[in-house]
Amino acid sequence: MKTTSIKSTSMPFTHATRAALGGNDPVSPPQGYWRFAWRHQQGANSVLFEQRAVVVNLGLFGALLVASVIYLSLGSVKVAPTTVLKALVGNADMMATFVVQELRLPRLAAACFTGAAFALAGILMQTLARNRLATPGIIGIDNGATAFAVASIVGIGVSIAPPAMALAGATTAAVLTFGLAAGSGTQGYRFIVAGIGVGAVFGAVTQLLLARVAIDTANAAYPWTVGSLNARPSGALQLLMLGLALGLTTALALARSLTLLRFKDATASGLGVNVKRRRLEVLLLSVALTGLAVAVVGPVGMVGLIGPEIARSLSSSRGVPLLAATLAGALVMVLADLAGRTLLTPIEIPVGIVTAVVGGPWLLWILMRPQRSYT
Amino acid sequence: MTVPRFATLGVRRASPRTLMMLLLTALVAVSLVSLLIGAGSVGPGRVLALLSGTQDSEAHFIVWELRAPRTLIGILVGMALGVAGALLQAVARNPLAEPGLLGVSAGAAFAVALALVLGASAATLRISVAQLGALVGCVCVLSVARFRGVGNDPIRLVLAGAAFSGLLASLTSLILLYDQRAADEIRFWVIGSFAGRRLDDLLAVLPSMLVASVVVILIARPLAALALGERVASGLGHHPNLIRWLVVACVALLVGAATAIAGPIAFVGLVVPFVARAFAGPDIRRTLWFCLPIGPLIVLAADIISRVVVAPSELPLGVLTALCGAPVLIAVVRARRLPML
Repeated sequence: MKTTSIKSTSMPFTHATRAALGGNDPVSPPQGYWRFAWRHQQGANSVLFEQRAVVVNLGLFGALLVASVIYLSLGSVKVAPTTVLKALVGNADMMATFVVQELRLPRLAAACFTGAAFALAGILMQTLARNRLATPGIIGIDNGATAFAVASIVGIGVSIAPPAMALAGATTAAVLTFGLAAGSGTQGYRFIVAGIGVGAVFGAVTQLLLARVAIDTANAAYPWTVGSLNARPSGALQLLMLGLALGLTTALALARSLTLLRFKDATASGLGVNVKRRRLEVLLLSVALTGLAVAVVGPVGMVGLIGPEIARSLSSSRGVPLLAATLAGALVMVLADLAGRTLLTPIEIPVGIVTAVVGGPWLLWILMRPQRSYT
Repeated sequence: MTVPRFATLGVRRASPRTLMMLLLTALVAVSLVSLLIGAGSVGPGRVLALLSGTQDSEAHFIVWELRAPRTLIGILVGMALGVAGALLQAVARNPLAEPGLLGVSAGAAFAVALALVLGASAATLRISVAQLGALVGCVCVLSVARFRGVGNDPIRLVLAGAAFSGLLASLTSLILLYDQRAADEIRFWVIGSFAGRRLDDLLAVLPSMLVASVVVILIARPLAALALGERVASGLGHHPNLIRWLVVACVALLVGAATAIAGPIAFVGLVVPFVARAFAGPDIRRTLWFCLPIGPLIVLAADIISRVVVAPSELPLGVLTALCGAPVLIAVVRARRLPML
């Protein structure tokens, strides 16, 4: 959501001028915006909200809530939606409370937060690279994180906790991809194919690691290869929640300069953005979010493509729809896992496969379309 | 048609005949090593003793029943994938067109998985089904390549292919999740490996490979003409569309056969023509000849490494080809000017 705040605590916008302009609320907001003005001590403050962004974000949030209730009610044991709501506050019978609170709620939380993190990382990376295909999943960062996390699970060398290793892996892959693309820049398809190559190497490394260990350990690490919400280590989930809270706040604080980063470097720095530094910050943020999310659920990178695409198609092109993308990512992940759990019961389709089946055609469609601007 | 400097590797000064002899010698050596080395306890010493006449039933079984067929399969699959890669690259005019990357192998694998779920048995149907799947994949890829904008940009085609094959791969794993029987039947096949293949499998695909090689020999000349452009080719009396369809059929036959034996193996069709062009220069006919020893060389070397590196278990072959193929992909993409074919 894009907010523009005009804050004047001193002279320029005094009561006198306001009175001269007529009344208490003299400046009507630009078309399509809502303006919230309030007085604080001697100054006048106002915040502009883009109407479309507000509607989109509220809509996505509402959809996420509805999807969550459906998610909690469907499964091998069906719980009526009203009972779900009762169970959430602890007013239902033991069985329903157990199913909802103990079994499905943690999984729902994992789906929401990983989806949000992947999508936020995706839209940050796309904006940074000015390339709508440059999502962490496509340029190999997911695979790098997975390879390192698997290495820590199967106990090769030092076994640091998976989230730390996943962060290290994501960083390594990002350094490789961006390093290899340094000559040709990040726009265009070369960068993406170099990233695919990096991803292929890390994917092979993951297979290599899994082939070296006993079948039981390999089975334990299997969710990591496709992306599944079955394992969802709780420590990693708490880290992800923390990281997502910090990351989302930082990203929203950076929203204004992200909007400017979409322009050419010269334009952006002319408008007062420290381009290099901002890029590095955004890159770090995106890589960290990806690593933390991969540590919970494995490589479900397609969400990083689908979430931002949905957000962009709903929002106006005025800013970078960070919050909308985050919400859309959570929604996509919840729906995908819901489909994976319920479509082919009693078999459970890993969420990574569901998103790949849905996201693949989407990616093809993006590629087939006549070229448009990237972000 | 200029050959970019990086692609020649400075080896073109030697005459093609010398190079060919060197490559063939290397191939014989690698085949021998492939007989000598394995993941199990039968090492080079025991095999050499066996070859010099010692009685060793275990070594006899392992060498002649397991490793010899495996080596032969490696040679044939290497040839098939290498030639298919060179053909596809020539007809798509794209140095990155690779059956594995563009979804042809994934199409074959998907078709086999689908047929298994629909009730076919793995033993009888696999080859023709795989070839059919490869054909469909191939046609999809080339029609995408003719799409406006995509065909002009080699890298964009690869991206579309990667998306396509990723989609097919996840559909395949979806099918395998759904049908436990199918999964058990092809679990080890679907990741790409030569382990446990028998001579019968090889004999079953031999006819289609022979047909494909005859067709390749017949269309090599028109294909070289096609490299000069469609108009030149028709001016020289060839039929560009006919050639294209024949190439598609050949690629489908070869990749389908290779996939039917060994499972989907990516990147071989990229690396082999890349090296072959370095040896042979831009002429497609010579490149195709050089693919014949280079393909088996690379595939056998990868197969041998896959046996040793995690002994006593084995690594899927596709993992190793990806490990050595992805850097080549990156190198080609990073070159300032893509060599246009």
